[in-house]
Amino acid sequence: MLSLRREKLATCLKEIRRKGRMSGEAISKAFGSMQPCLDSNPPAAKKKRNLPGTPDPEAEVIALSPKTLLATNRFVCEICGKGFQRDQNLQLHRRGHNLPWKLRQRSSKEPRKRVYVCPEPTCIHHNPARALGDLTGIKKHFCRKHGEKKWKCDKCSKRYAVQSDWKAHSKTCGTREYRCDCGTLFSRRDSFITHRAFCDALAQETARVTAAFNNVESNMLQQFPMSHIKPSVVHGEADQEVKQRLALWMGHGSRTNDPLDNNTVFGDMHQVGPVSAAATLYGDLLNSSSNLHQLDQSQLSWVYSEKLPSSSNMGAITSASLPATSTVTEAETSQPLLGSLPALFSSQQRHLIAVSDTSATALLQKAAQIGVTSSIPFTGSFESPKGQNANVRDRFDGLFSSRSQPSNLENIVPNFAVSNTFDVYAARHGSPRRDDIGGETRDFLGVGVHTLSQPSINGWI
Amino acid sequence: MQNPHPHHHQASASCLLELDDPDATEKWAAELLRECARAISEKDSGKIHRLLWMLNELASPYGDCEQKLASYFLQALFCKATESGERCYKTSLSVAEMSHSFESTRKVILQFQEVSPWTTFGHAASNGAILEALEGEAKLHIIDISNTYCTQWPTLLEALATRNDDSPHLRLTVVATAGVGGFVMDEIGQRMGRFARLMGVPFEFHVIRDLSRLDELREEELGLREGEAVAVNCIGALRRVGVEQRQAFIRMLRTLRPRVVTVVEEEADFTSCSGEFAVCFDECLRFYTTYLETLEESFPPTSNERLALERECSRSILRVLACDGDRVGDCERREKGSQWCRRLIEAFSSNSFSDDVVDDLKALLKRYRAGWSLMPAEGDASGLYLTWKQQPVVWACAWKP
Repeated sequence: MLSLRREKLATCLKEIRRKGRMSGEAISKAFGSMQPCLDSNPPAAKKKRNLPGTPDPEAEVIALSPKTLLATNRFVCEICGKGFQRDQNLQLHRRGHNLPWKLRQRSSKEPRKRVYVCPEPTCIHHNPARALGDLTGIKKHFCRKHGEKKWKCDKCSKRYAVQSDWKAHSKTCGTREYRCDCGTLFSRRDSFITHRAFCDALAQETARVTAAFNNVESNMLQQFPMSHIKPSVVHGEADQEVKQRLALWMGHGSRTNDPLDNNTVFGDMHQVGPVSAAATLYGDLLNSSSNLHQLDQSQLSWVYSEKLPSSSNMGAITSASLPATSTVTEAETSQPLLGSLPALFSSQQRHLIAVSDTSATALLQKAAQIGVTSSIPFTGSFESPKGQNANVRDRFDGLFSSRSQPSNLENIVPNFAVSNTFDVYAARHGSPRRDDIGGETRDFLGVGVHTLSQPSINGWI
Repeated sequence: MQNPHPHHHQASASCLLELDDPDATEKWAAELLRECARAISEKDSGKIHRLLWMLNELASPYGDCEQKLASYFLQALFCKATESGERCYKTSLSVAEMSHSFESTRKVILQFQEVSPWTTFGHAASNGAILEALEGEAKLHIIDISNTYCTQWPTLLEALATRNDDSPHLRLTVVATAGVGGFVMDEIGQRMGRFARLMGVPFEFHVIRDLSRLDELREEELGLREGEAVAVNCIGALRRVGVEQRQAFIRMLRTLRPRVVTVVEEEADFTSCSGEFAVCFDECLRFYTTYLETLEESFPPTSNERLALERECSRSILRVLACDGDRVGDCERREKGSQWCRRLIEAFSSNSFSDDVVDDLKALLKRYRAGWSLMPAEGDASGLYLTWKQQPVVWACAWKP
C-alpha cells in the first residue's frame, strides 16, 4: 500500500521535473484512485473548480497592475466621493442622490473563465501556468506577499497586510494554549518557548524523533525499550520540527562513518522529498531489518545518559541513535548546516567506540559514576566555610541559642552569618542542603528522576 | 559597648510604635534605617546601638515589605558598623553557590520572568536590536555577558529559525564570572544546544569561566573568527566591572568590532556618593524598596522563588554598603542610564530601538500585571526605560560602532 503511494509520488515528481508543471489531467490520473469520489452529476448551479495549482488552460489570462490590485474602493460616487468595492453598491448609493442608476444583470451567456497573474516578476504566480482563478484571491495574495503590513495585532504585535487576516488572527490571539511535553500549559508563547528550551522533557527529544518516524509503522515502539516515552505533539510545531530535525539527522548520518555501523540494515535510501515519504521509507527499512536487536539497552542507555563527559552532547546523541546511516544520501537542504560539525563528530566517534565495547552493566555503572563526578565538587561538609568564620559565629551563638548576653554589639543582633541563617531555613523547610543531582535516583536510561512537585498549570518543574 | 538596660530600650521601641498617626508608622523601616545610616556616618555609637537593636526587634525576612527591608538593610548596616562586610559577603556567596543547582536556578529565574517583566524587558529589547542589526548575515557570533543564565536566547533562536527559510549559523560565547556556578553553565549549554537543534539552527556554545573579574576579559579569549558578525550583549554586566575599570572595559568592547552592543542596566546610582555613606544609603534604600515592592506585587504571597531573589538582593545590598574595594566577587555599583550613556558615547553611537521593537515591548508589557510601562530616555540619555508606577527601574539601549 505504501510502496504504491511512493510510486505514484515518484511519477508525479518526474512529470513535474520534466515539464516544469503538470497538467490537471496528469495529476488526476496519478492521484485518481486516492482522491475522494466526486459526484459525476453535480448540481447545475455549482461552479466547476479546477484542482489547486492547475488553471484551466483555456481561460483568459488577466494581468492587473499593482495599483489596481491594491485599490480598495474603485467605484467612486461623483457627487460625494464615497468609494465602494463593487459597482452594484455604488449604483444603489446613487439612488440616494436621485441620480440615474442601473444595475447590471448577470451576463446571460456562460461566463468566460478568467485567471489572474501576479504583477510581481519574482513571484511564482507571475507565471500564467500558476495563475490564480479568483480576483479576490489575487488581490489578497499580492497584498500579503508584496504589500506593506499595515495591520498590527495589539496583543502580540504580529503584523498583517490584509485586514481580514488581521481580524482572523485577533480573534484567536491569546486564546491559543501551548503544551510542553512535560505537561505544563502556557498561554504565552514566549514563556512557552523559554520553558521548553530548559525543560527536562527536551532530553527525551531524540527519543521522540525516533518515535515520530515510527508513528507511521506503530509497532516499532515495542521494539525499543523506551515505552515510557510518549510521542506527544506540540501544537502547530510538530511538522516544522520534524522536518528540520529530519534534515539534520539525514545530513549527520551521511557525514560520519559510524562505528556502530550495520551496513546491511539500510540499503540505498533515496530521499524523495516530502517528509512523510522519507519517514515511510525509513520505517519500511527498519521494519525489514533483522539487525534491529542490535539497538539494545546498553547502547540506548549510552545514548540517553545525560552525564556524558563530552563537551557537546550533540554528536554523541545523534550519531549513536541513528546506528547505520552511513549510506543515507545527504539531503541537499541540510548541507549548509553541517559546516562546522563534522570535526565535533569525529572526536565523539572515537569515544563512542571505546564505550560500546563494554557490557551493559559496565556502561550503566560508568554512566552513574560520570554523573557523580561532574556535579559540583562539594567539600563534603558544611564546616569549612563556617570554620573560617569561627570568630563571628561564636559571638552570634550567644543570641542564637536564645540566651541574652548583651555584652557585645554583635550580640544585640541575631546572627547574620548567612551560613546559620541558611541552616535555619533548611531546617524549617526540610529541603536538602544541596540540590545537585549526584545523589538523586536515576532511571536506567541515566535520566534523573525529579523528586519535586507534580506539574500543574503554570507549575514549574 | 555595653547595653545594660534592655528594658529601657524595649520601652522606647514600643513608644516609637505607639504613635497616633498611622501614616507615620507605615514606612517605619525607611525612617529607622536612614537614622541608623546617619548615626553610622556620624559615628554615634550609642545611637547606632539603639537603632540596630530596634530594627532587629522589628525586622524579619519573612514578613511584609517593611520588615524585609529592615532585615536586609539591617544586616548591611550591622556589617558596616562592625566592619565585617567582606567576611560576611564571602560567606553568603559560598552558601549561595552551594545551594544553587541548575534546577533551583532555572525554577527561580523562569518563575521571575513569568510574573515580572523586570528581565524580559531587557531581553526583548536586546533581541529585537540584535535581530535587526544582524539581518541578512549568515554567521552570527553573540558574546553574552549577562546575569540571566541564557534565558534570553530561546526566543532569539526561535526568531532566527522562523523568520527566514534559511537559518543563519549562531555561535554563542557566554562570559561567566565567579558568581555564576560553572556546573550550572554546563547544563545550560547542553540545553541550549539541544534546543537549537530542535529549532534547526546551527549552533555552537562556549563558556569563558576562568575570569576572576570581568575586566580581565580580553579579545583573544573570545576566539573571534573571520566573516562572522559580532553582537555584544551586556545585561547587568557593566555594573559588575569595578568603577575605575569601566571606561577601559568599554574600550575593550570596541576592539571586538561588534555590529551592535546591547546594554541593559538597573536604574540606580551607587557610585556618585562613595564618600558619603548616608547619601549612598538613601539611593540604595530607594532602589531596593522599589525592587522589593515589585517582587511583592508580582509573586504569589508564599513563594520560594521570591525568597531566593530577595536573598540575592540582600547580598547585593551587603556588597554595595558594607564592602569597600573590589576584592570580593563582582562589583554591584549601578549607574543610571544617563551615566552609562556618557561612558558609552566615547566608543559607540546610540542606535534607537525601531518602532517594531517598541511595539513588541508594548505587547510584552500587556502580558503582565498592570503597573509597568515604557518611557523613552530624554535629554542626553538615549534608550528606553521600563517603569514601575511611573518610576524608571530598568534601562535598555542599543549601540553601534
